[in-house]
Amino acid sequence: MPNSRTSSQRRDFNIVVLGAGGVGKSCLTAQFVQNVWIESYDPTIEDSYRKQIDVDGRQCMLEILDTAGTEQFTAMRELYMKTGQGFLLVFSITSQSSLYELAELREQIIRIKDDENVPIVIVGNKSDLEDDRVVSRSKAFSVSQSWGNAPYYETSARRRANVDEVFIDLCRQIIRKDNATFPSLEDQALVQREVRKHNGQYRKTGRRKRVMREGEKGGCTIL
Amino acid sequence: MPIMAMADEHPERSSVHVAPLTIHKERTTSRTSNRSHHSRNMSSKGSIGTGVSTNTQSQITPPATPNGSQEDLNQPMAPSNPVFHNFLRAFYPFHPTYTISDSTVTLPLNEGDVILVHSIHTNGWADGTLLASGARGWLPTNYCEAYEPDSMRNLLKALLHFWDLMRSGLTCDSEVFGNQEFLRGIIAGVRYLLEKSSCLTRESPVVQGNDGLRKNRKALLSDLSSLVKTGKRLQEYTAGPRYAQTDQDDVNNTIDEMILKAFKIVTRGVRFLDVLDEDLRSRQPVHRVMATVAEEAYNPPTPPADSTSFDGSQHGDPAYGAASRRISSRSSASGLSSLASEEQTKRLSNKRLSRPISAQLKRQSTISHRMSLVASIPAAQRQNLVSEKLNASHDTFLSFLGSFIGRLHLQSQSAAELLISVRQSVTAGRELLVVVEAVCAHDHQSDEALEASRNAMYDRTNKLVVAARDVIKASAIEGEDVVMPQQNGGLLMAATSCVKAAGECVARTKFVIERIGDFEFEPQNAGLGIDISSIGVVVAEKPVEEPQVEIPPEPTSRPPPPPLIIPSHEKPLPDLPEKSPSPTDAKPIAEGAVESARRQSTGTKRDSLLPPLPKTTSPAGDDYSPSEKSSQHDNDFQTSFRSGSIAISSSGTSSTYLSGIRDSESSMLSQASTRATTPDHSAYVPRSQPSISDLSISGSLSTLADEVDEGESKMLEKTFAHELLYNKEGQITGGTLPALVERLTTHDSTPDAMLVSTFYLTFRLFATPVELATALVDRFDYVAESPHIARPVRLRVYNVFKGWLESHWRDLTDHESLTVIEPFAKEKLGKFLPGAGKQLLDLANKVTSTEGPLVPRLISSMGKTSTSIAQYIPADTPLPTPHMSKSSVLVLKNWKMGGSNPTILDFDPLELARQLTIKEMNIFCSIMPEELLGSEWTKRSGSNAVNVRAMSTLSTDLSNLVADTILQYEDAKKRATIIKHWIKIAAKCLELNNYDSLMAIICSLNSSTIIRLRRTWDVVSQRRKDLLDALQATVEPDKNYAILRKRLHDHVPPCLPFVGTYLTDLTFVDAGNPDTKQLPGLGGSEGMPVINFDKHTRTAKIIGELQRFQIPYRLIEVNDLQEWIQAQIVRVKSSPEQENVQKYYRKSLLLEPRETKTSPVEGQMPFSMTGHNTKFDIFGWSHSKDREKAMSTSSSLF
Repeated sequence: MPNSRTSSQRRDFNIVVLGAGGVGKSCLTAQFVQNVWIESYDPTIEDSYRKQIDVDGRQCMLEILDTAGTEQFTAMRELYMKTGQGFLLVFSITSQSSLYELAELREQIIRIKDDENVPIVIVGNKSDLEDDRVVSRSKAFSVSQSWGNAPYYETSARRRANVDEVFIDLCRQIIRKDNATFPSLEDQALVQREVRKHNGQYRKTGRRKRVMREGEKGGCTIL
Repeated sequence: MPIMAMADEHPERSSVHVAPLTIHKERTTSRTSNRSHHSRNMSSKGSIGTGVSTNTQSQITPPATPNGSQEDLNQPMAPSNPVFHNFLRAFYPFHPTYTISDSTVTLPLNEGDVILVHSIHTNGWADGTLLASGARGWLPTNYCEAYEPDSMRNLLKALLHFWDLMRSGLTCDSEVFGNQEFLRGIIAGVRYLLEKSSCLTRESPVVQGNDGLRKNRKALLSDLSSLVKTGKRLQEYTAGPRYAQTDQDDVNNTIDEMILKAFKIVTRGVRFLDVLDEDLRSRQPVHRVMATVAEEAYNPPTPPADSTSFDGSQHGDPAYGAASRRISSRSSASGLSSLASEEQTKRLSNKRLSRPISAQLKRQSTISHRMSLVASIPAAQRQNLVSEKLNASHDTFLSFLGSFIGRLHLQSQSAAELLISVRQSVTAGRELLVVVEAVCAHDHQSDEALEASRNAMYDRTNKLVVAARDVIKASAIEGEDVVMPQQNGGLLMAATSCVKAAGECVARTKFVIERIGDFEFEPQNAGLGIDISSIGVVVAEKPVEEPQVEIPPEPTSRPPPPPLIIPSHEKPLPDLPEKSPSPTDAKPIAEGAVESARRQSTGTKRDSLLPPLPKTTSPAGDDYSPSEKSSQHDNDFQTSFRSGSIAISSSGTSSTYLSGIRDSESSMLSQASTRATTPDHSAYVPRSQPSISDLSISGSLSTLADEVDEGESKMLEKTFAHELLYNKEGQITGGTLPALVERLTTHDSTPDAMLVSTFYLTFRLFATPVELATALVDRFDYVAESPHIARPVRLRVYNVFKGWLESHWRDLTDHESLTVIEPFAKEKLGKFLPGAGKQLLDLANKVTSTEGPLVPRLISSMGKTSTSIAQYIPADTPLPTPHMSKSSVLVLKNWKMGGSNPTILDFDPLELARQLTIKEMNIFCSIMPEELLGSEWTKRSGSNAVNVRAMSTLSTDLSNLVADTILQYEDAKKRATIIKHWIKIAAKCLELNNYDSLMAIICSLNSSTIIRLRRTWDVVSQRRKDLLDALQATVEPDKNYAILRKRLHDHVPPCLPFVGTYLTDLTFVDAGNPDTKQLPGLGGSEGMPVINFDKHTRTAKIIGELQRFQIPYRLIEVNDLQEWIQAQIVRVKSSPEQENVQKYYRKSLLLEPRETKTSPVEGQMPFSMTGHNTKFDIFGWSHSKDREKAMSTSSSLF
């Protein structure tokens, strides 16, 4: 049991899911927030996009803002972005242009957040459609590298592969950033311990390797 | 399977006679209501309640034929999926000979009897109702096999539902019985049976070819007709003006009668199927039958019914060899009598040692039940079932947590109060977990998801405790007894996550219960704490261990059959007077008998023991009864079981039953219930009931008349009713296309309005127009088989076509279906309803030539269009006068003459807001429902959602206009003035309930382009900023637009909602719900997939919500102003969207350059600019050149 401070520090994490229309980001979100056995999903209630998860022993309440369906309301984007603490940038590995469109979104995020180091995870969705892949893993990875070393994951919302992982990674980034911004010795020690514990060779191998590994993992689900 | 030991001795046959105890607790679908017997108890007739004592030690060695050995029991059996079988069929007769007073205990079975199972005790005894007689009692499951032949599937399912419905004691009888809907399942089931067996019509060769079959079929239909008639009577009762108490008895009688009739139908169906099977078999060479028998004979003997088989880890497959077993048991009558002697030998040679009891007593609950299909069973009747317990404890937990969370929002509270409410919540949480644990322990497959969610709940609960402790500790240190609200954050979070975890955990638990079967949950054990060990053991006290020394049974003092114990305080089946040894003097002779007697004596010392399962013995004849064998076997069986003959007269048993009940009641008070299904005899009132003999086969056969033939088609109207799924509210949530079409064209009631509108709106998502047309034509065709309803159905089919063509036609997609519709109108419809045929033909011609719907749809219907305008504001209300000052009019005039362009400051904010509202509302009202289906509006090219697109475009343009007007001034003060003006306009938009324009303005003012203009905002007064904050709060996307949704919910038109939320909702309904659902299969099998109509209903509801606001404002358009606004929008639109954003951002940077103090933002722009370019290289984007050009042009602005 983490020390008692953790419980009092539990709070909401505002996650914004962005990406072009048709990349399956709504499926990704729906898969994440709903339990597989829910018989009927109602997206119109307040709790539709809230979910609590455990990140390295911390309880995180995620409030997810997914703009699916309103991609054409381009002027709205920045309003969505404003509240976000972490961003999932989703494209489809079956669409080149869906990756390109993320560049614009990322620029906008950085502009509105006024921060180069906003927690971001790049997500290549539809990893189950390997046959239709047009964005190679290495290309997507190099793009994510050029975007401030953002982690890159491949997911399959349909098969629920890597879905939780992307949200957890984002939460870790947010927690890490918080601790850097508001240093508290105790917390830092705690987080470092947790990071080490849960993230194995993370510190040794560095982000790049880890990201690659995640990428590979996504691939495994396909094969 | 005890293969080895037995195989040596009697390799051939044992299995023929001894069925494995294959019924395991498991998934079931239903069950509950038996307690409601009191008011509707059908039977005194034979219902022998029995209190079967619960022999938790599960050795069920039948006294007469101990043929299993200890070692056998330990042999692992093939694991199989535990499934609760709702129906069993005896493949071996069971006629316990019993002393008179014991006659109520067990249910005698004849070979071939079919039993509806209510619950199964782990020792192998099942509480069931014999369909042939309606009698209820305990029966040995090892005499039976699962009965669920494919062709009977629907009928059996329907019977379960029927039983639940009838027994549920619903108070709203009139609702249930107000129409014939509740009988439809049975009818459909019979029809399905006949259809499957190709006997749907009398003329079918199968029927003609076999006289027995023909008679059976006729009898079946006559029974069905009789049931329907009774149903009508019931309908009349309930529809009667005075549905009073006096009638209640009649109603109850009728209901009982109907249950018996339904049973009889099923019995008849079973027989019918048997005859059919025989018929088929008789056409096969004889040697094949023999071969089957021989083959079967090699099967190992069945193990004695032992609890091990209920542990889930091991048991045989109930369905295993069922067919061949049936054959062999049948053939046994014809001459396998030689087996009998072998069997005896075997029996004698087998000794069964008693097994350690204690281990088995660990079992938590010993009975599994069906889970009822009916939701509305009064809770009191089922409170001991774990499903009920789960719901109840979940409710309690939530209510405690709810009030706890409520308190947290209070200003402050004392630590003590806080402690109390936390304690209450946690205690309730533990109670819930106790129930969950019980289910976990019961689930031998140990569902991972359940364990995960259970652990999560433990975790959350613990964290709540920890959080509470911290808060209280903290306040204690500060020496205050008061906990301030700001300290509550952690607690609040902990409590909320408890709510969530509990929800997930309960959902999963329910899922598991459905799979493994509902079971009794010992209430007294609940709530003791999280400690798992405290849950469970139904019979709490450990039985007194028998001394290891075997007690030689004294023939004279032989104990009676073990008492039946009904653990419930509420009435079980009647008990036996238990402690008095029966006077029978049987002499145990065989060792086996000794053994069993020993065990029985043990049984009497226990609180609750079921009688050991009798072993089936060799098939001495069709009607084997242990007593028959008594001469050979020293009668030991006879002493333990004696029952009256199957033909129990209703009057006779009735009294026996009652006295039995009373006796047992007094002796049973302290015992825990294992029966949720037993009648509450305290309320039981004897009355004359329809006796089974009234309905006896001979009787009804004699009443067969020609009317049956006439009624045949009536009865068997073809239906797809069994292919529909409902939710608890009774709405259709799934179904096949033919089943849905059937509901659209019901003959006896107007189709549900929501169903119709949803169907018209969304059918293209689950069927092609041609498929729909074909399904409707099929419906038109097959109703011909049921002439009595043909006319109304045909008319409705026509009406569905008419509605489709008139108001919901989309020629683009639907045109192809005319190839089905036109011939149908000409040839089929025209034949029966000439006028309609002609009209449909006309319509078909018109739809191709006319744009838009032929008949405007009603405002309330899904297919509403902008042409249908209902005014919420009375038309005579004067229109508000436009706020146009003289100068406003003047500048516009000047502008039109080619003068200078006015600014927004030249116009009144209210008037600008009004004109914007009119402009947007015009587009909003034009949105067609079909634009909102299938994510049409997100299509990149060729989207038909022109109006939705126009909405988003206008909204974006308006945002751009806001930015453009602000950025046009070099002077920060002027920019501030424009901002203030826009804030005022936004406020007026809110007053007009125009959320769409409000959203556009707020978005722009919050964009990175505008929000960064610090110098400008410094000039805006705090009052304006506060106003902006308030406006912004109403459209905040937080909590799924909680505020906006709340406001919209309460609004009446005119109102212009933000379209985005609807679009997102529609997207998520689509993404979050699968396209198909599974029909429930019988016995755990996968059902067939059907259309997930629930998903489409949700879609239709969201669209309906949007349409609710498609009503224009009553405002006057100021043409000149509209013209000017349009011109401004065109102006800002001139450059492509993305360039606009870039352009405005650069302009913003020009006006107020970045401040040079070091911040992470500094240098960001140049960096990302170059970064941008590099990335283009990396990607080799095809259009990178264009981009770069755009980029460099805009860069030149610097």
